[in-house]
Amino acid sequence: MSTHLINRRQFIQLIAVASLGWSEISNAQKNTLGIEANLVYKNLTDPWLSLAEVQEHLFPADESSPGAKDISALGFLRNMLDTPDIDSEEKEFIINGVGWLNDLSEKIHKQAFIKLNSTEKENVLRKIESSRAGSRWLSLIMTYLIEALLSDPVYGGNKDQKGWQWLEHIPGFPVPTTEQVYFKLDERANERTHRRTKA
Amino acid sequence: MSKDYDVCVIGSGAGAGPIISELSKQGKSVLVLEKGPWLTEEDFTKDEMACCRRSTYTPKLEDEQHVLEEETNNGGWVSEPTSESGWDFWNGNVVGGSSNFMSGYFYRLKPKDFRLLSEFGPVEGANIVDWPISYADMEPYFTKAETEVGISGKIIPHKHQEPRSTKDFPYPPTSEHPIVNRIDKACGELNLTSLPTPRAVLSRPANGRNSCEYSGYCGSYGCHSGAKGSARAALLDGAVTTGHCEIRANCKAYKLKSNNKGQVVEALYYDIDGKAQSVSAKTFVVACHAIETSRLLLASTGPKHPDGLGNNYSQLGKNLLFSAGGSGTGEFHYSEMDKLAASAMKTRGPFVNRGVQDWYYFEDKAFGGKAKGGVIDFLLRHPNPISKAMSVKWNDDDNLNWGHNLKRDLKTVFTESQDLRFEVFNDWLPTDNCFVSLDKNVKDKWGSAVAKVRLGYHEHDLKVGEFLSAKAENVLRQMGAKNIRSSVSGSPPANLVAGGCRFGNDIKTSVLDADCKVHDVDNLYVTDGSFMPTGGSVPYTWTIYANSFRVADILKNRV
Repeated sequence: MSTHLINRRQFIQLIAVASLGWSEISNAQKNTLGIEANLVYKNLTDPWLSLAEVQEHLFPADESSPGAKDISALGFLRNMLDTPDIDSEEKEFIINGVGWLNDLSEKIHKQAFIKLNSTEKENVLRKIESSRAGSRWLSLIMTYLIEALLSDPVYGGNKDQKGWQWLEHIPGFPVPTTEQVYFKLDERANERTHRRTKA
Repeated sequence: MSKDYDVCVIGSGAGAGPIISELSKQGKSVLVLEKGPWLTEEDFTKDEMACCRRSTYTPKLEDEQHVLEEETNNGGWVSEPTSESGWDFWNGNVVGGSSNFMSGYFYRLKPKDFRLLSEFGPVEGANIVDWPISYADMEPYFTKAETEVGISGKIIPHKHQEPRSTKDFPYPPTSEHPIVNRIDKACGELNLTSLPTPRAVLSRPANGRNSCEYSGYCGSYGCHSGAKGSARAALLDGAVTTGHCEIRANCKAYKLKSNNKGQVVEALYYDIDGKAQSVSAKTFVVACHAIETSRLLLASTGPKHPDGLGNNYSQLGKNLLFSAGGSGTGEFHYSEMDKLAASAMKTRGPFVNRGVQDWYYFEDKAFGGKAKGGVIDFLLRHPNPISKAMSVKWNDDDNLNWGHNLKRDLKTVFTESQDLRFEVFNDWLPTDNCFVSLDKNVKDKWGSAVAKVRLGYHEHDLKVGEFLSAKAENVLRQMGAKNIRSSVSGSPPANLVAGGCRFGNDIKTSVLDADCKVHDVDNLYVTDGSFMPTGGSVPYTWTIYANSFRVADILKNRV
């Protein structure tokens, strides 16, 4: 990485320190939406249990790079499915897909998806991909995965900026706070508009 | 009868901003109806989810959409609502409009752009005309926009330099990415003039706005520092502080009501709670995006205007323009550079302010002699990581890419090369097959007919685009780029749209007169890109700003 960039990053930190103070910065860094990051993968039941396995198969960890769990891809997905403006049909489709996945898994391998070995998982997922609805389902899962890898950590994925670091990505600034996430912007603006109208 | 306001402006983007700012500074009472929310610098962060992955600054297509009509292989036309195709035609529905999200490549038109027909002659199948005004009429306003909007740049003499009344830009160029040295060198070797691209981005603080922070994320993003010359940051904030300008955000105008004399008396709109409201004014100005302006006027029928305001000669919505051209890419692999050069190439933040205008006009036998070309602009691949990663979501066999293969491809696309892109801008010739009408079936969430847009293009546009693309590829080749490719098509860029209410001297062939007043309506003006009868071969925003300043001067004496 060039020294130019490191210097700029230090510079930005200085600006942040000047306006916030250290304690608030460390709080701001911890702030993400939704469930506490460390609890995302605790005591999972379906559909999340199977979805976590699918994500890990599609985006496996290896010695030099993070996997789906490392970036908290499930936390991101759960947060997104909970946003107020989520398309309810899409949400239902993702959840229902888990049922179809396990039906197919039982049919071919007589076991639930999470019990399969890697080759069997690959086999089931490629089978799913061969149907139109299945391909659409997997495509959605992949899109959320890629977003989880590289969106701002405030949304619950890209945990500790692991996605950005792995791909040597330099984020812009300022980054969003939990109050500036995309689905809260209209509300923020409208509150100001209402205040103005009353004044 | 007393009117609520002197002027009511529909829309708040680049075409509206100068009118709003100039008239409220003069003490006129100005009301702005803006369909979108009033976001400010506090709301704009470098969040790809907000800017580019969700409909944050644009409506949901189920709520508001377009119907797009494309030509089939056998010469027929097939239409599809955008809620089905997903082809989003909105740009930025917020206070300040899409100027909040522009990249800010700013170009003036050149004198010959005002008389395309006289200079280059007709092209069969194209409705080319001269403008009713000349470059000299517009020049003072191009200059005014440099100061008022905040345009940074540097003049380098070249054969197609347009005349200027001032020597140079009021703001020096923004900081530049090290890759410009390679572009300059290659252009020099090819005997081309590598020109600094003017940008609507402040390179030093001015007028209460900060200088650019060089975050490296500019186009598609709202500006946090206020350096980008959006209508909001540059003009509306100041207008509001005069105390004469009121902005009503989340208010969607759906009809202009006209009386028996054919004058507009009221704007009808839905407020933030969805309630129908009305407001009266002496003068009305419409500037709410080329397609939506035509749509609003088409919907505004009245006793003297049975087919919509300004449509008594069936000209309204016709001769819609986009920007023709295309884009291309070349790769610079870090493995082929020393460490220092690679590190410079990876720099994130400064701009690639370079373009080539050597073929703005040219002579070539394949074009029958004298011909109109356009500009080539260079830029880095957009740094948005999600969109970059999405480019490897599918593999070459059209299967989903996952597992270790996906991770390998991600690593390659993110860490092995810097990609330099180019964009080519040339004239989108006006034709009978590119126009706006009202769709008979599809309505928006308030029950109004949506705009239906026929998206025909002229083959000549592709010929010019391919000519320029080949020249741009030569520059990349000279720079030593690998894997050079480009694409030119007739697919319109939804963010570069103009026309539909062309101005002219004859009511039978134009909607507006030379002052951008609707010919047969005393108190209605159109000041967004709709007025343009031909588009020139540059992005439109500077021209839209300049023309709005010009019309503001006219209105100062009339309102």
